Formats: sequence, structure tokens, C-alpha cells
Amino acid sequence: MTATTPEGWLLVLALTLPAGAMLLAFVAGGRHAQRIALGALALWLVIAFAIALQVQRGGAPLAYLIGGWQPPLGMALRADGLSAAMLLTGAVVLLAVALFGRAPYATPRGAQETRAAYAYWCFLPALAASLAAAFLGGDLFNLFVALEMLTFTALALACLDGKPSQFKSELRYLLFALIGSVLYLLGAGLLYGAHGTLDIALLAGRTRADAPTLVAGALMTAGLIAKMALFPLHLWLPPAHAGAPAAASALLSGLVVKGAFVLLLRLWFWVLPAPVVLNGGTLLAALGAAAILIGSVVALRQERLKLLVAYSTVAQMGYLFLMFPLLAAGDAETASRAWLGGVLQAVSHALAKAAMFLGAGLIAASLGHDRVAALGGAARVMPITVIAFAMGGLSLMGLPPSGGFGAKWLLLRASVETGQWWWSLVILSGGLLTGGYVYRIVAAALAPPAPGCEARPVPRAQELCVLALALASILLGLVPLKDLGLVRVGAP
Amino acid sequence: MSFLLVLAPLMPLAMCIALAWPSARAHVQKRLWAAPLPALIVALLVGHVPPLVADAGGLRLTLLLDLPGALLLGGAALLWSAAGLYARAYLGDQPRFAAWWLLTQSGSLGVFIAGDLGSFYLAFAVASLAGFGLVVQDGTAAAIRAGALYLLLAVLGEIALLFAFALLAVGAPGESIAIADVVPPLAASPGGAVTALLLVLGFGLKMGLVPLHVWLPVAHPAAPMPASAVLSGAIVKAGVIGLIRFLPEHGAPGGWGTALAVLGFLTAYWGVVAGLAQRNPKTVLAYSTVSQMGVIGAVLGMGIVLDIGASGLHAAFYALHHMLAKGALFLGVGVALATGPGARRWVLPLALLLALGFGGLPPTGGALAKAAVKDELGAGIAAWCAALSAFGSTLLMLHFVRRVMDAAAAEPEGRAPPGLLGPWLGLGTAALVLPWLLLPVVGADAGKIWSLAAVAPVLLGAALAWPWRRIADRVPVLPEGDLLVLARRGAAPREALGRAILRFETLFRPWPAAGLSLLAVVLGLLAAMAARPG
Repeated sequence: MTATTPEGWLLVLALTLPAGAMLLAFVAGGRHAQRIALGALALWLVIAFAIALQVQRGGAPLAYLIGGWQPPLGMALRADGLSAAMLLTGAVVLLAVALFGRAPYATPRGAQETRAAYAYWCFLPALAASLAAAFLGGDLFNLFVALEMLTFTALALACLDGKPSQFKSELRYLLFALIGSVLYLLGAGLLYGAHGTLDIALLAGRTRADAPTLVAGALMTAGLIAKMALFPLHLWLPPAHAGAPAAASALLSGLVVKGAFVLLLRLWFWVLPAPVVLNGGTLLAALGAAAILIGSVVALRQERLKLLVAYSTVAQMGYLFLMFPLLAAGDAETASRAWLGGVLQAVSHALAKAAMFLGAGLIAASLGHDRVAALGGAARVMPITVIAFAMGGLSLMGLPPSGGFGAKWLLLRASVETGQWWWSLVILSGGLLTGGYVYRIVAAALAPPAPGCEARPVPRAQELCVLALALASILLGLVPLKDLGLVRVGAP
Repeated sequence: MSFLLVLAPLMPLAMCIALAWPSARAHVQKRLWAAPLPALIVALLVGHVPPLVADAGGLRLTLLLDLPGALLLGGAALLWSAAGLYARAYLGDQPRFAAWWLLTQSGSLGVFIAGDLGSFYLAFAVASLAGFGLVVQDGTAAAIRAGALYLLLAVLGEIALLFAFALLAVGAPGESIAIADVVPPLAASPGGAVTALLLVLGFGLKMGLVPLHVWLPVAHPAAPMPASAVLSGAIVKAGVIGLIRFLPEHGAPGGWGTALAVLGFLTAYWGVVAGLAQRNPKTVLAYSTVSQMGVIGAVLGMGIVLDIGASGLHAAFYALHHMLAKGALFLGVGVALATGPGARRWVLPLALLLALGFGGLPPTGGALAKAAVKDELGAGIAAWCAALSAFGSTLLMLHFVRRVMDAAAAEPEGRAPPGLLGPWLGLGTAALVLPWLLLPVVGADAGKIWSLAAVAPVLLGAALAWPWRRIADRVPVLPEGDLLVLARRGAAPREALGRAILRFETLFRPWPAAGLSLLAVVLGLLAAMAARPG
């Protein structure tokens, strides 16, 4: 039985504040839209922080029943440790990206508003609202709606520049995301038919390893991993993420794919019965391992900076799937480590990758191109950006004291503890390959400028946004384990 | 007193951060020599410094100072201080160099006092990776190539260690990650050999045990003089303290010890032979470091075979002498090159004294270092192997002295400025005198250093140095990093593999392939989920 907890109103606020801000910005437009979006996102960060604090202090999930109706009749919003951590991450990244976008999407006083600026400031709060819905939703249909909202706002942001080449790659993204949605919806329908509810907490007690549940599980999982671009379903991600404007790429790679990840966790560890998780988890992890190895090698061989970073996302998403067999096979202690490791990887990747995409965007804007071989001189014009990019890379590699190190250490330990040592080899070789492509970029940026290369200086404020995100991904590793216990609140 | 332990790594780190403020930059660069002072003070206070335990949210971090750690910490602090003074005169104002310098130093000093897996790994990684900045300081194409190789092998070492640490943490009872808790069970654990192998791999890469030594002869000559001194003197010792701390003191299988000792002696000889074929004095020195680290590996290996609990302390004493003497020799190369041919003979006595110390010439500090490891290398086959290595080292070091004396000077009438001379003389004196002062700590018998068995290898080496001098120029040049040639041969297959993986990935890009993969994923998931657990 779920009941509204005293601080449940925070969850409603987290959902309605950005949605309201979006509507308001839509109506106000121009310079007001920017002010409204920035103000709302700053407030949203405060709310996300308050939710995390409440969950951490109380040691129990927050919940809110909409209209006071119990599921399955009513709908519930829930915030456990996973939701709170992801919400906070989302708020940090969104605010940093919004501040980053102040320069390119500004509407000067008296000037006519541009389409891109208007869309940017309307869709940022919309993305926040969709993320809140995806992280807080307590029932599989609501989560489907959240996922669709996420896809469409992301799409709008990706097409911000309105270039024909963008439309082509984003159309691929849309089609693939829709196919994923159809599969998910099909599975949700099967579950509803078999169990009469889509509320996650209620389903958790009812599912057995029977045919409808299995088919539903397989369909929904396939749909979700298509949206997460897990190898071999990754074809849409590199062009879509690399083709979008820098701010949008950061959000797509950092946050949007994590929405589907949270859903996948809810499906696997709350809804599906334990034996199914144990059997299917190994397949997911195997695909994840392939993603890590192949994605990293392909990233290593890219000629364009943004494509390289996008392939790195394909590889890094692979790490998220390693937690499935570890969580299913280990004892309580090991499972808790694997859970923390997986979620920490999601959080630190969100921060680091957002920083790297913003940095790549700045570099491309300054040099006028993003060919890796011709990045020489970048470090002289924008040392802060290059340092931030390298720091994000260190976190992806999993070097201490970054958040990525914490994540990989926990996964490594869990894989040794469960006797599944082969995943350790994947984790470690992935780190080496990651080091390879990060080094390629940093070394190229440190090289002296090629003759005839004209690099324009970039705004210091934008550089500082990139640095803040990169620093956050590094400092995450210094957060004491006790505080990371937040993620364990309400864990399966 | 314990707070001093924290200061040892934090002082350089704080100075490094201070470089971010333009107003503080000049002050920091002028006082590079002062950064390791807290470490030096704390090393002198050994025995009066209780361990520092901090509970960082469920993770117990420990800093502690024991005798082997104090020897290495004090030696490293001296070397960093002298080299810092030298760097000021050698390089002038170089804020970027100062930043890398201080960062590397912070890790290098921290590694000697880290008492748990977490802080050890952090310090080791900082020392290893930041060293890259020192290698590439000159910015030449050769330096950047050397830096890339250095970084690649450093990351490989990190990976081996991370895996080993995970195995250690899992194998230990309870949640503790203190080294004192996780290492003893290693000796008796069934999979312990894998962990030990990974540890030797990770630390061997840093120490330069053959065949993992290839980065040393490439990176050390590429770096500027003071950086070579700390790389060869202090950074490689991170591997030494690693082996001392992580190989169980008692009860490890004798096979591990034998393997390590064989590897060590192999390295010792390899370093000598490859070094004798070198022309660049800095490369000769780098190979000599490889050879000396091999001896330390052999000491630790024989310590396991003979179950000598104090072999860590003996190895640390040996390493302390190497740290000071090798540092002084690298600084000496810079002094010699700055001195015109006319005045260079004044450089000769100290260089010769330090050089022959590596062979064990009494009464230098080197002879005492050899006496300190008598328990391990004093009897049986090991004694003969050690004598052979001492003979080789003498030959190699005389080869080095000759190469330095022949090297072309920057200016024919040049004189080394006092900023170079001072640190060199100071460090060289310390290398000769300090081992005598510290001898009671290891309790070695100084009387034996005059025995025939100890002196004979030096005499024999010196006797053969003259004939070698005549044929050395006719020996074909061995490329720096010898075995690297083989690695380069692997470039084509690697390239082919990379291209094949890229082609494989493109197979999945067209729509029909994506549709098929989606179908395959659904069916595969269904099959996997439905499978009965075997």
C-alpha cells in the first residue's frame, strides 16, 4: 500500500514547475523566455536537492498519490534513491547547459527573437519536466508517456539549427525511437492484460516467469535498449548526437539516454521475476561488453571530434549493462555494490559526457572545424576547455579520484566477488581504449597550431560552464561512500 | 605529529594549486625546493609519528610511516628538493613545468606513506600519470613520442594494479582496505598467484623489470635533466615500495620468490648489456637504473625464498642509495654538459666516485647498500649472480663516465652556474655520506665491505673498462628501448585488427541490418529469459 509521504509535494513541484515554466516561456517569448527558463531550472535544482536530502535523511522513498487515489485506480509518483540521484544529476547538467546556451541563444534587447533561441528556451524546461516524469513515475504507462515526451523534446533540441543534414540524422533517431516505443507499448499491453495493473509496486508481487511476462519483458527491454543505443542497436546515435548543436548533444548523450536506463532498471529489478533477471542479465551484459569494446575501438578511429565523442557514448553505455548479471548473482553486499556502481556510472557519465560535448562544441566553434588531426593550437586559445575535456576523459577512463573510478571499482569488485571475472577484463580493457581516444584528442589539442589556422577566442563564461561539469564528474569520486548510500534507498 | 603525514603530499599539491593565481606564480617557482620539506621532516621523525586513520564515510583511509617507508620518503624528499633547486637554474620560469613537477611530487611522496588500497592507488596514479608532463616538457617530437609510450605503459600498469587491488579487497576478511589487512591472506589464498602476478606486472612496469622496462631508456633521456633525475630516482621507487608493501612478508610460496629473483637478475644483466651499447650518457644511466631495479627485485625475491622478514627494509636501504646517487649522476650530466672541455676534469672525481659506488667500491654508500642486502644475496648461487651484476654495473658505469666526458659541451669555455653545481654537489655528498649515517637502522655489518668478495667485482670491472673503451664505438647502436622494435613490428596487425572492427561495426549501420538486429535481440532475450537455470 502506497501512501503520500509528508514531503510528497516536492515531487509534484518537481514535475509541475518546469512544465509550467515551459508554458509560460512559450507565451512570453523573446528575452522573457530565457529569464523564465533559467529561473525555473535554478529552482528545479533546489527542488531536486531538497528531494535528495529528504530521501537521504529519511532513508525511505518519497511518494505522492495524485488525487489521493490508490493504484491501480490512481497514479503514484515515487522518489527512491535512484530517482533522487538521477533527478539531481539531471538538474545539474540542465542548469549548466542552460547557462552555456546564454551566449549562442541570446536575444539582444530590441532585436527580433530567433526561432532557435525561442525553441531552446522553451524546450529546456520541457526536457526537465519529461526527465522528472521519467525518474519519478511509478507506473509503466506513465513512464511510457514520459519517454515519448523525452524523445520529442530531445528531437526538437537536436534540430535547433534547422540544417538539412541534421534533419536526416534526426529522422533516423525519431524512427528508431518510435520503433522502440511501439515495442515497449506492446509489452506494457501484455503485462496489463495478464496482471490488470501497470503500477510498478503492485506488479512486483504479481509477476511469475510465465509466457506473457517473458514476452512482455523481452519486447519492452528491446524497445528500451533501442532507445539507449546499446550495440547492435546503436546505428542512430552517433550521427544524431554528433549532428546536433553542442548544447543539445550534451543533453542527448548525458541525460536523454539515461531516462530509458532508469526505466530499464525499474522493469528488470521491480517488475520481472528474479530467475528471468538472472538468465537474461548475462545477455544484456554481453551486449554491453561488445558495446564497450567495439564502440571504443571505433571511437579510437574517428576523424571527427564530435563523432568520436558520440561513439564514446555508445561504449560508455555498455558499462551500464554490466550491473545486471552482477546484481542478480551476488549476495546482498555484492548486489548493493553492483547497484551503486551502475548508478554511479550513469551519473558520472552524464556529467563527464555533457562536459565533453560542450567542450567539443566550443573547440569546433573556435576552429571552424572538428577534425581531430587539425586540433593543434586549441590548447593555447582555450586552455580551460581543453583541461575540462581532459578531466571528463579521465572520469570516463576511470582514473582516481573521479566518479568514473568509483563506478568502475565497484563493478570490478562485484564481478570478482561473483566469480564472473570476465567482466573485469572488459571493464579494464575498456579503460585502456578510452585512454587511447582521450589521449588522441588531448595530444592533438596540445600540438602547435598548423600554419594558417585561425582560432577565435571563446567566451570565458561558456568555458567555465564546461569546467564546472567536468569538475563535478571528478569531485563525485570524493563524495564519501556514506553519502552515496542515497542511491541504495529503496534499491531492489 | 600525525598531521605532518598529511602535509607531505599536500604541500606540493597546495603549491601546485597556488600556481593558478598569477600573483603567486613567481613565489612558488622560486621555492620549488621547499615543497618536499614536510616530507623530509616527517621522515626524520620516524618512530614518533603514529599512523593517521581517517574514516571517510565508511572507507577507512590510513597514512603511516614505517622504517622502509621513512628511508624512501626521506631520500625522495632530498632528491626532489635538490632537483627543484637545480630546475630553477636549469629551466628558469616555466609555470607549466612547475605544475607537473609539483603534482608528480605530491603523488611520489604520498605513495611512501599510503597505508590502504585507496590512497595508495591514488598516489601511485598521480605520480605515474603526472610524470607524463615532465617527459614531454621539451616539446620535441622525440619527447612527445616518449611521452605517449610512457603514458600507455603507465595506464597498463594502473590497470594491472586495479585488478590486483580488487582481488586483494575481495580476498581479505571484512570490509577493511588497509594494506596490513589485505596482504597477509594473499600468501595462503588459492588464487593468490594471479594477484601476485598482476602486482609484479603493475609494479614491475614502474620499476622497469625486463621486459617491461622499455619506457625507461626512452623517457629518461627525453626529459630535461632535473626531471630525468626524479624520474629515475624517485618515480621508479613507487614500484619498489609497491613490491615491499604488497608482497607478503612471511609465508608466500617459495616459487614466487624464485620467479621474482630470476626476473630480477635477468633484468640486472639485460640493463648492463643493453646499456653498454649506448652512446647517449643519459640513456646509459637509464639502463643502469633498469639494472639496479633488477637487483632490488632479486633482493625481494630471495627475501621470499629465504623467508627473511626484513628484506623490505634491506631493499629500501638499497633503493635509498640508488635514489640519491642516480639523481646526483643525472644532475651531473647537466653540469658536465654546461662545462667546457677544459674544466670538465673537475667534474670527474665526484662522477667517478658515484659511478663506482654502483659496483660496490668501498667506502662509498654503494658498498654499504650491497652490504645491507647480504642476507638475501650473500650465499649460494645468488651470491655469484650478485657478484656478476656488480661487475657488470662497474663496467657500465665506467662506460657512462667515459660517455659524459666525451659529450659535446654547449659552449667550449662554458662554466656551470652555481645553481647547477650546488644541488649536484649536495646530492652527491648525501649519496656518499647518508648511507653511513643510516647504517645502524638496517643493522648491516660494515666490516665486510673491504672483503675480497666485495671488492673483486669492482676491480675486475675496472680492469675490463679500458679494453671496452676501445671497442665500444664499434659496437652497433642498440635502439633506445631495445624490445620496442618488436612492439613496432606488431603495428601492422594492430592496424588491420582496428580496421576489421570498424568494418564489422559498419555492417550494423544500414536499416535492414538494424531491423534484423532488433528482431534478433528480442528473440535472443526471450530465449535467454526463458532458459531454465542450469
